[in-house]
Amino acid sequence: MTLAADAIEVRYDTQLAVQASSFVLAPGELVALVGPNGAGKSTLLRALAGLQEHAGTVAWQGQALARLDRRVRARTIAYLPQNPPVHWPLLARELVDLARLPHRAYGARPSAADADAVTAAMRETDSLGLASRGVGRLSAGERARVLLARALAVQAPVLLVDEPIAMLDPYHQLDVMNVLRAYTKGNGESGPRLVVAVLHDLGLAARFCTRALLMNQGTIVKDGPPQVALGAAAIRDHYRVEPLISDHAGEPVIVPWQRLGSDSRPPERDR
Amino acid sequence: MQPAPPQRDLALIAGLGALLCLATAGSLFVGRGGDGPTFGLGSPEIAAMIFAEIRLPRTLLALLVGGTLGLCGAALQGLLRNPLAEPGLLGAASGGALGAVVVFYFGLATATSVLLPAGAVLGSMVALAALYGLAGRRGDFLTIVLAGIAINALAAALTSLALNFAPSPYAALEILFWMLGSLADRSLTHVYLALPLMLTGWLLVAVSGRGLDALTLGEDTAKSLGFDPRRTQWLVIGGTALAVGAAVAVTGVVGFVGLVVPHLLRRAVGHHPSRLLLPSFLGGAVLVTLADCAIRLMPPGPELKLGVVTALLGAPFFLHLVMRPQQGGAA
Repeated sequence: MTLAADAIEVRYDTQLAVQASSFVLAPGELVALVGPNGAGKSTLLRALAGLQEHAGTVAWQGQALARLDRRVRARTIAYLPQNPPVHWPLLARELVDLARLPHRAYGARPSAADADAVTAAMRETDSLGLASRGVGRLSAGERARVLLARALAVQAPVLLVDEPIAMLDPYHQLDVMNVLRAYTKGNGESGPRLVVAVLHDLGLAARFCTRALLMNQGTIVKDGPPQVALGAAAIRDHYRVEPLISDHAGEPVIVPWQRLGSDSRPPERDR
Repeated sequence: MQPAPPQRDLALIAGLGALLCLATAGSLFVGRGGDGPTFGLGSPEIAAMIFAEIRLPRTLLALLVGGTLGLCGAALQGLLRNPLAEPGLLGAASGGALGAVVVFYFGLATATSVLLPAGAVLGSMVALAALYGLAGRRGDFLTIVLAGIAINALAAALTSLALNFAPSPYAALEILFWMLGSLADRSLTHVYLALPLMLTGWLLVAVSGRGLDALTLGEDTAKSLGFDPRRTQWLVIGGTALAVGAAVAVTGVVGFVGLVVPHLLRRAVGHHPSRLLLPSFLGGAVLVTLADCAIRLMPPGPELKLGVVTALLGAPFFLHLVMRPQQGGAA
């Protein structure tokens, strides 16, 4: 049970957005996909979700995603884009219930399992209290939590989330990181699950994630445990900031402290 | 505790169904003669004929055309995720009108009454094919809307050209009157002609329902939920072209029903795109049947055309929708 990416390359017209990315991700891992703006994180995540045309292959349990039946893939990989649109002001609960579409036949009413999945996902994201509110009347942070609940409610063995905590207050940022960590543990029936999250908060990434993929200019430049992949040198080289790195009660603390001078900017690559 | 959504919908559907029965009964009861409205079926010896050859076709067509316009309007709004979408938008209606006008223009309509609807269906099909050609198989929604506008403009221009060169003022007037949209003087032949196409169209649209729900969260999320937005798109567009083309074929252009009806019912189904389809079908059927009854109740004189009535009511409604500030959540 692994999600294996082999030589992923994505081009926008002739520009290489992601190149030569190969890695194997396993259930139980909480993977932080990190890197500066424009590094290709979201593009790579979309490729993993099967939403982005790419060279190379992404395979789940040895089977290429492109060959999987659409509905099987939908039950296997849940994907939450960054700031997804919500075109109709559904009730929050009905929005989360959209996650259950791949689990039921055409015209079928939501089953008890569907209702349970929706309720559990909303409870985990602290959005159960919003269940009967229209999505149009939620704040940005509340909406983000409801949308995360939508992704969780698929109950897929693979969860790909793009900046899930960008809109949230500190309480809910910590809450969501805990939710993602709990999701990797799975529940009794599901067994361990894989979560890949695009994150900008290096401190939370280092604290909560079991592995970090650091991207810059379309390539994965570091892949390993956060303490290694997000070391001071890597942050300096790829983010162009001087980090303060410390630890508190045995857990890492990373604070981006100061921009580095423009002379340390990596040379612009010839596209 | 709020009742569960399906139960709420059941009440709405039952209510609309009851309304539809009343409207149908009214439509079968109200007639129109030279002196204005008439009631009942007249003397016993002609009652059966009036019922079978005048009232029944007119009522059935009102139901079919209204249902088609309501259903397709709701589906298009779901597809384009825009409450301003309408069947006329795709060019299916204006293409159908052009096809019929071409038949008129060459003086073929007098030969046999079947040629006129055939021309309209063909026109809708050509409009759809042109849309497909312009927007391409991978066309995004915006491209489709723009292509629809272009096709509408072209169809209108060609229709004007036909009017310009009409062989006689009488022919031009005939074309104009037909385009205004009416249910008067139709026979069961029209019903038989339109029904198979409409049924096929309805089926295609109904199948798209879950895809429309998934599109609520954008194309990426819809895809990640196992739906192919292109498939949903062509189900709705193909179904609409078939059903609306058939509707235009038998009644001319009846506008705005597909805009107004889904809008009025959307809140009652919690803005849910798939749950809006059936109520919109029923609501459209009710609206057109009632509007056609109202026309027959007008004082004596030339009969008001159905398309004129729906446009007079619908255009200000459309304006109101456009001018209203965008409500939160439907961003």
